[in-house]
Amino acid sequence: MSDVRGWIGERVPVSLDAVAAMSNEPVPHHLKRWWFALGGTPAYLFVVQIVTGVLLAFYYQPAPQTAYESVRYITEEAAFGWYLRGLHKWGATLMIAAVVLHQMRVFFTGAYRKPRELNWMIGMTLLVCTLMLGFTGYSLVFEQLSYWGATVGANISDTVPVVGPLMKQLLLGGDTYNDRTLSRFFILHGAVLPVLLILVLMMHIGLVRLLGVTELEFEGETAAEKKPFNFFPEHFYTELIIGLTLMILLSALATLVPVEMGPRANPQITPEVIKPEWFFYVAFRWLKLFSGTTAMLTQGLIVFVMFFWPFIDAWLVRRFKYAEISVWIGVVGALAIMGLTMWEALVAH
Amino acid sequence: MTLDQKRWVIGGLGLLFLLSLVAVQWLEVSRRRHEAGDARAAVVAPAASRQCVDCHTQVSTGIVEHWTGSTHAEKGVACVDCHQAEAKDADVFSHYGQQIATVVTPRDCARCHPTEAAEFSASHHSKAGNILASLDNFLAETVEGSRVAFSPHSPTPGKAVQVVNGLAPANSGCQQCHGSLVGFQASDGGIITVRDLKPDEAGQPTNFEAVGRIVRNESGKPLFSSTSWPNTGIGRLNLDGSTGSCSACHSRHDFSARRARQPESCGKCHLGPDHPQKEIYDESKHGVAFRDLIGEMNLDAKPWVVGKDYSAAPTCATCHMSANLRNGMKITHDPGERISWTNRPPVSLVMDTDANHAVVTETDPEKRRAAISDTADAKRNRMKQVCSTCHTPDHINLFYKQYDDVVINYNEKFAKPGQAIMSALAASGLLTKTQYDEKIEWTWYYLWHHEGRRARMGASMMAPDYTQWHGMFEVAERFYMALIPEAREITEKAMRAGRTEQARTANQVIDEILNRPEHQWLVKGAEEQADAINREMERKYGQTRRER
Repeated sequence: MSDVRGWIGERVPVSLDAVAAMSNEPVPHHLKRWWFALGGTPAYLFVVQIVTGVLLAFYYQPAPQTAYESVRYITEEAAFGWYLRGLHKWGATLMIAAVVLHQMRVFFTGAYRKPRELNWMIGMTLLVCTLMLGFTGYSLVFEQLSYWGATVGANISDTVPVVGPLMKQLLLGGDTYNDRTLSRFFILHGAVLPVLLILVLMMHIGLVRLLGVTELEFEGETAAEKKPFNFFPEHFYTELIIGLTLMILLSALATLVPVEMGPRANPQITPEVIKPEWFFYVAFRWLKLFSGTTAMLTQGLIVFVMFFWPFIDAWLVRRFKYAEISVWIGVVGALAIMGLTMWEALVAH
Repeated sequence: MTLDQKRWVIGGLGLLFLLSLVAVQWLEVSRRRHEAGDARAAVVAPAASRQCVDCHTQVSTGIVEHWTGSTHAEKGVACVDCHQAEAKDADVFSHYGQQIATVVTPRDCARCHPTEAAEFSASHHSKAGNILASLDNFLAETVEGSRVAFSPHSPTPGKAVQVVNGLAPANSGCQQCHGSLVGFQASDGGIITVRDLKPDEAGQPTNFEAVGRIVRNESGKPLFSSTSWPNTGIGRLNLDGSTGSCSACHSRHDFSARRARQPESCGKCHLGPDHPQKEIYDESKHGVAFRDLIGEMNLDAKPWVVGKDYSAAPTCATCHMSANLRNGMKITHDPGERISWTNRPPVSLVMDTDANHAVVTETDPEKRRAAISDTADAKRNRMKQVCSTCHTPDHINLFYKQYDDVVINYNEKFAKPGQAIMSALAASGLLTKTQYDEKIEWTWYYLWHHEGRRARMGASMMAPDYTQWHGMFEVAERFYMALIPEAREITEKAMRAGRTEQARTANQVIDEILNRPEHQWLVKGAEEQADAINREMERKYGQTRRER
């Protein structure tokens, strides 16, 4: 065994002890609480998405003439195709939910504050990447709703002043949905966005490691309870439990609520009701409440505020001398997002 | 949580995850088996039929196997539910403790499917057995066979033939599609049918003397006449007074809706020289699409609504019977509800029908209006609802204009004139009263019954080759090169025999017809067109007809 380690050590001069020490740094005590150990969940689901996505890509054919049939083949004929597609679809749903929950946890615990402002902004980039992955992935199926969802999405981006038409052109590869649009979505979904997400995720985790996890304290904790603990095996086991639970949940969802095929995209027939995926309900409802350009500008402003929130929060705390002000703003924001999402989900139009 | 506890939890979750993968594997295998047709739903025969299933699994496995894969089996409907009979039924017999009958009629099916049975009873399908007074029946029973059994005229080595059953062509041919007059062997050597039994409204016989003459075997089972059974003809005349056979389309014993939805099911009867609807469909774009896209037809769907459950291609059932989005997803078991011409007779008739679903032939406008219960336009609109799943109103209306034009051209140029010539010859006494004893009668029959139908049906279902080369081309050839010369020959012969007046009367009719503008090409010639054709043949192929 030592011969093998020596052989490798000569060719890869990295100290295994140093690697072990680096990966086994003390973990803050609050991570013993399950609710605070969910930060790795989106990353875990992302790995599931990559594995299932690669397998699905073996069969998927990104052209209007072939896309729907290839998805139908995956769903109805390929061995375990239905299961892989189910895992991928439910993985996407859970990943977006996990990212949002993680972000809410970071927000409400003030973990974005100095010196972690940049990591919050990187996290926001990850959220946008995840949503874009959801949008492009949904469009690839080439069902009626995914086709019209993509068309409506492109038309919405068209309403953004100045850059809107260019954004639409870039998204569709033309003025309208055309033969090249699907391959564009496919490359965005299967290559550009995942690579971007991996790079940004590495920066995100790197900063977490460099800055350390924000340590939280709870009332009534004893000194012994506040003591940090080892990553391995204690926290590793926790992550393993979360991972296995997620995998069982995904497997159950893919089996019990299997994905089905909707009607094939028909550019000649606009469906009576067009709905995006659930994670865009809030934006869709917002669009219905305001006229196109106003809605897009206000949505842009909200994203901008969220992006720079650590700095805005610092200014608010200085201005109002009240450290919890962001919590109340966050509560209002979260309620608004949930309310608009529910509203869109419950009404037909 | 301690480390040990975590390890146990991880072990438990790991096991659970493995179990979930096993479940996935099981689902995948089940799916594959189902696709390969190996999977069968767990079927338990109801108590009353358990003994039948057990025994027939040994003695006639196929019946039980078919039934096992059926919706009936899934729903717990089994042997006795369909074959049950009452003590007063003419065909009842006791079979291992159960009172049953062999033939399951629409009256039996109506116990669970009353709407479907009622629609079917109103249809032309259910009346297909009433062909006794038709030309087709005369052909089969008299011309092809013999209504009277006769003795063989020489021995058949290896087979002791005592008597020739002249009804064989009708029994094994016509009646297998049209339906037989189901009958039992009678003690006097005859046959007992519904006409002897005179059943009441409940389907039970009122003529007990006839019941008494039914020949039964030692266990009391009535013996069928081989001239009438087995038979699944669609217009079968059953012993209980009902007409038809549901298993004509929903083959026993799996009664598959999937099979009935496919054109091959209709093709058992709707094919051949006189009504090649199946071949016409195969030639049409609809049939071509069906063969290519059969995997997308969702043929097992319940319900099976075009535009919702499938839209790859229409089958016979799609257009004539099945549900569509525009008609409130209503299925009909009367295919006539959507047919606007009847192309069965020599001259096509508009399908205005009376309360009994019979074609109204009244010509007086007012009386005709009064007699009509369901108009041809209403029928056509029902068909258009199907068409509009895939086609625009303009497309549909223009197609119907093309179809109408073919039918009317056939009617006016060939059918009505042909009918007039045949009537004139008959009225003048230049034809015998017997059918098919003169060449011109065969000629006329070929013209309307085979070629004329092919042309009209080809146009109705968009099969150009059937409209033209198997249709109108042959109609024209038969009319100009056979019917007219043969009619002339008859009149000339009559003239020579001194029947001048009769011959002149018939000739007047022929002359009047040939003097019409559409036949002038034959009378006056069409030399300009011939020259143009010759020039074009010369230009294209370097060949031409030798000039006179």
